[in-house]
Amino acid sequence: MLREDKLDTFLDAFLEGRENPPKVDLDFWEEAEKIRQPEKERFWDYQEILTAPKGKGKLPPRTIASVFLILILIPVIIFGGIRYWDDRKYLKVSLAIAFLSTVPFFMVFEGRKPQTKELLTISVLAAIAVAGRAAFFMVPSFKPVAAVVIISGVCFGAEAGFMVGAVSMLASNMLFGQGPWTPWQMFAMGIIGFLAGILFQKGWLKARKGSLCIYGFLATLFIYGGIMNPASLVMMSYAITKKNLLAIYISGLPVDFVHASATVTFLFLAARPMIEKLERIKIKYGMIQE
Amino acid sequence: MNQNQKRADAFSQCHPAVNFFYFMAVILISMFTSHPVLLGISFLGALCYAIRLRGWRQVIKFNLLFTLPAMVVVAFINPTFNHYGVTFLFYLKTGPVTLEAIVYGVVLASMLFIAILWFSCYNEVMTTDKFVYLFGRVIPALSLVFSMVFRFVPHFGAQLNVIRSGQKALGRDMSNGNLLRKIKYGITILSILITWALENAIETSDSMRARGYGLKGRTAFSIFHFDRRDVKVSVFLAGLMSICIIGFRQGILFAQYNPVIKIGGFPLRIQSVSVYLAWGIICLFPVLMGVLEDLSFRRLEKKANMERSLPWYMKQTGGQLP
Repeated sequence: MLREDKLDTFLDAFLEGRENPPKVDLDFWEEAEKIRQPEKERFWDYQEILTAPKGKGKLPPRTIASVFLILILIPVIIFGGIRYWDDRKYLKVSLAIAFLSTVPFFMVFEGRKPQTKELLTISVLAAIAVAGRAAFFMVPSFKPVAAVVIISGVCFGAEAGFMVGAVSMLASNMLFGQGPWTPWQMFAMGIIGFLAGILFQKGWLKARKGSLCIYGFLATLFIYGGIMNPASLVMMSYAITKKNLLAIYISGLPVDFVHASATVTFLFLAARPMIEKLERIKIKYGMIQE
Repeated sequence: MNQNQKRADAFSQCHPAVNFFYFMAVILISMFTSHPVLLGISFLGALCYAIRLRGWRQVIKFNLLFTLPAMVVVAFINPTFNHYGVTFLFYLKTGPVTLEAIVYGVVLASMLFIAILWFSCYNEVMTTDKFVYLFGRVIPALSLVFSMVFRFVPHFGAQLNVIRSGQKALGRDMSNGNLLRKIKYGITILSILITWALENAIETSDSMRARGYGLKGRTAFSIFHFDRRDVKVSVFLAGLMSICIIGFRQGILFAQYNPVIKIGGFPLRIQSVSVYLAWGIICLFPVLMGVLEDLSFRRLEKKANMERSLPWYMKQTGGQLP
């Protein structure tokens, strides 16, 4: 078959009955070879870097808006908590922070009327995370949730990363038992996915196995542990002092290390096949924005 | 007896909004007040309801195994690290141990314990369909995601079996070969599952679009109605709650442990007793409602059984001898 423009010229020439149809090259096979040539170099890159950010490091305005909302909201709540309740009531203030900092993401997500394809993909990823958490129920804190969340943040953007993290924590707690820890877990897991998306879009986090593993380790150790340890302190005791904080961090360190090593293991094993599958789905069903 | 077990609990048959706001109110108040009387009443209510919902054996086993040790640890952490208070009891390596810190540690531990107990009831009553129904209007996209997640998890399990059987027919089952082979086959099966899940999701979304998901004027089916009983229950609970709030304003529910223990509402006066009574009825409300309904059902059952076992010649007169 000839391509459209060539077909047109050929048909024009043919229908007008000209003897020699002008400028109809029949060597388009070779041209296609020529076009495919640079792709081979890209293929080599593809081996290393699993996927590349679209739009050259620009964040969507909605993501920037939610970052600002978070950055403004948290100090306002802390200030309000100190001003109106007395500052001893950490539990109220921190619960309010965890709850209210999750709300803007949900509102932004609701406000833009997401496509059904996006909704379904997010729910599949969250279901994979929930099923993974359930499958490893006999190994405490060795869970693949953070790995799935990071991969979805990288492939579908910061917002999707947050949604997958928060939804999978809330949903899996419906199976494992809700408690006062749910808002913190939602926020912590969500922010891991959100940061993964932002760093990837900015080009600071490359979608390589190595860098993903490093990010996964640091994020689980410092973001998840860094949020959940003070949260458990707040749940158990009101007194937050430097000494108490240090004690709870040290006592939580082994658990966090197990969690972080789980994340690294799952990222190392699953990052490439998962990202390949997600990219394939994106290309096959035209889910790439812009 | 068998029929009783089949019937759902009376309070969980109320409208989801009543259930949700009841649990939120009770859990938040239990978590944010440190008043010992309130906490004790709340504990009693939560324990009774948990036993009613899940059976006493399971509740007691779970609590003795998991919650009690955690509670003891929490109760001991506070006095060893915090040294506020005025009543010194003895000295440890970390510093003086005070009565106030010990009491506060126990209060904190019981607060956590009560919250977990209430949440276990919440998990039984607020099933996912209720949650999705309740938030479907406010956050439609998110609640769709939720219901999808809950649907996908068992769906994946079923599909996993299908894939395994297929692979088994090819001689690539997890039970074949050495360990390395087994792991390889397992990974293949998982990979197939994930690919299938993603494709299936896209197909589902196309199907949803084709059936008009997200178009204007479409309504969602639900079997929940806000009936007259729900109105009565919510008015009753709101009245009791407002008594509690008035008590809170008057400082009856005030409690302080640092630096000295100060607890409001003592000595007992008519106001404080009424506040405690109101809170007690709130906490025991689900159990009371269930027991009352059980009693009325049993009465009806007895009546029905009696009428059924009557001989035919007495039926016309309704069981009364002429």
